Amino acid sequence: MRSLFQRLHDALGTSQKSSKDDAKQRLKFLLIHDQVDLTPAQLDQMKNEILEVITKYVEIEQGDDVEFKLNREEGCISLVSSVPVRKVHARAI
Amino acid sequence: MAECIVITSGKGGVGKTTTSANLAAGLALAGNKVAVVDADIGLRNLDVILGLENRIVYDLVQVIEGECKLRQALIRDKRVDGLFLLPAAQTRDKTAVTPDDMRRLVADMKEDGFDYIIIDCPAGIENGFKNSIAGADRAIIVTTPEVSAIRDADRIIGLVEAHELPEPELILNRYRKHLVARGDMMNKDDVLEILAIPLLGIVPDHQDIITSANRGQPIVFDERSIVGQAYRRIVDRTMGIEVPFPNLDVDPGVWATMKRWMGLSAQGAY
Repeated sequence: MRSLFQRLHDALGTSQKSSKDDAKQRLKFLLIHDQVDLTPAQLDQMKNEILEVITKYVEIEQGDDVEFKLNREEGCISLVSSVPVRKVHARAI
Repeated sequence: MAECIVITSGKGGVGKTTTSANLAAGLALAGNKVAVVDADIGLRNLDVILGLENRIVYDLVQVIEGECKLRQALIRDKRVDGLFLLPAAQTRDKTAVTPDDMRRLVADMKEDGFDYIIIDCPAGIENGFKNSIAGADRAIIVTTPEVSAIRDADRIIGLVEAHELPEPELILNRYRKHLVARGDMMNKDDVLEILAIPLLGIVPDHQDIITSANRGQPIVFDERSIVGQAYRRIVDRTMGIEVPFPNLDVDPGVWATMKRWMGLSAQGAY
């Protein structure tokens, strides 16, 4: 059970995440998608195709560790991706 | 040198018309000869905000179609020297005017000795918007600290820049500092971070806006109103005068102070 202190704390409204952070996050996401004009399905497809190419050269950790993010700063969109590499494929020269 | 400024936003209902009326009236108060043009053909509103609705004889479309002279259609505001309204037509639609018509009209007004021509742009990005920015030298974007309004403002900024106007400036309207202080409204830095254009001013959300609209008396005339003062600063900045931005922090108040004493808020309330 939550302590009286915790309940008082909630009643005073200090533990809630502020709604403006939600607004800002949603807005940033919206503006990126307005600008790149790709559906979430297309973005997913792009991610899968990029990963396919990468796996031709290196062995990667699939799953939640793979990160694909669109960022927007000063009106410019950049694609930032983090893909953990398990090992580089030994290739004959 | 004469300058034509378009007031635009993309989204409707964020305060373009109120901004146009107060900016125009304020520029006239500062000694300029100002024409304010209602470009919202078919949905005329600026006359009502200015309290000049009973004096309309001719309108923008009649000037463009040559039915009357520009001078006949301009309504002189008797409260301040140098303020003139060119009303929109109420019974026509936006196809009655073309961007070329607007460019010609603005050029005529500049020739008539106006220092500033303020164009109140309709909502949207269609004909009305294209007409409004056609003759403009400069654009002011009005937005409110809301997701939908800022999204549209971002789109409009892109369109303004595509029309080869200089970088537009921003008026942040309906700012509620108490909501900002408790984290329930985006603050000016949040908005500027996203839109990345210079800030021309912040207008508080205040009942004075409603009462002044009821009376048809632009609030910029009222020196005692904090909204009127905010518009006067915007007027000065529009004329290129540097005016500091007032502090918008909120006095923490009893509750926040108590919370801090009780150790409930680690970093202080605000």
